[in-house]
Amino acid sequence: MKQQISVLMDGELFEDEAASLFDHIKRSSDVHMDWEVYHLIGDVLRQPEHIHRGLSAKVRERMQDEPTVLAPRGRAVKQRIRTFALSAAASLSAVGVVAWMSLQISPEVAPKMAMQQSAIRPVSMQIQNESNDYLMAHQEFSPSTYMNGSASYIRTVSYSRDEAPVKNSPDEK
Amino acid sequence: MTDREVDQQLVERVQRGDKHAFDLLVSKYQRKLGRLISRFVRDSAEAEDVTQDAFIKAYRALPGFRGESAFYTWLYRIGINTAKNHLLANKRRAPTSTPFDAEESESFEEASLLREVNTPENELMSKQVVDVVQASLQQLPEDLRSALTLREIEGLSYEEIASVMNCPIGTVRSRIFRAREAVAENLRPLLETSKGTRW
Repeated sequence: MKQQISVLMDGELFEDEAASLFDHIKRSSDVHMDWEVYHLIGDVLRQPEHIHRGLSAKVRERMQDEPTVLAPRGRAVKQRIRTFALSAAASLSAVGVVAWMSLQISPEVAPKMAMQQSAIRPVSMQIQNESNDYLMAHQEFSPSTYMNGSASYIRTVSYSRDEAPVKNSPDEK
Repeated sequence: MTDREVDQQLVERVQRGDKHAFDLLVSKYQRKLGRLISRFVRDSAEAEDVTQDAFIKAYRALPGFRGESAFYTWLYRIGINTAKNHLLANKRRAPTSTPFDAEESESFEEASLLREVNTPENELMSKQVVDVVQASLQQLPEDLRSALTLREIEGLSYEEIASVMNCPIGTVRSRIFRAREAVAENLRPLLETSKGTRW
């Protein structure tokens, strides 16, 4: 216990240990006396020419007439609430901005993508027309055929009103 | 936790209604604050009263202390204001004509200003306390004396002392404690004989 006081005085004790030590000092006058004597030794070593009678007993007497002071706990609680509220507001506003941006972007991008797809389609159909037989012949080498063992049976079919139906498989002849 | 954090923990205890925690702060700072106030108030009896007043004012003001500065800086500022108000009330001027910074008060030394007028009894007691501490220190083994001196006078941390003394931090902790306790053992009989006088 005395060693803990010594370490506490030097600012080398952990916070939780200090808290329990303060409780112990409060309960024991002997331990309190150790606290006083160790501080006196430090003061004597630092300022031997200016050591005078201690005042703690007199201050203690006067303190008995003093009402117990209590810091307004609301201040600390308000501070914590304010910190939490600010961080929550920042998070919500960040989510709001992201949502707003996605809403702003989607209507513009979607038609563009649709237009691009429709523009590409005739080209792909041309490619299909020219290479359909080749692709079908080598279908078994396609990586997609390993999907669940059933992909080889999938046939892609497309339809366009502007053009005649396209035959995608020799089976459709 | 650092020394400032120790003070802050004590302050928070006081702010939660623990008067005893303030008692520990008084024990810790009574001589430092008294020494500071004696630079303004030359008469030792008056200086003692002013120091007590300063502590009481600090206690009353503690609910408003938010820890933005170190507790001792805040306390010293209260001490200086209390001393100046005391002099003003008695139509006297503070001995310093330049602004006095509480931050510098620890290092401020000017022998001509430090004229403590103790009673003969107190002076004798003070001398005995100093003699016992210094004699006890000289009797300590070299490693204990060095550890305590490096800590109390040079203000080194345990880590720094361990580096200087080339030993583990645990050894430093033990040496400082053993040194303090050895000095305290010689000091306690003297303090117990001075009934009604706390040091």
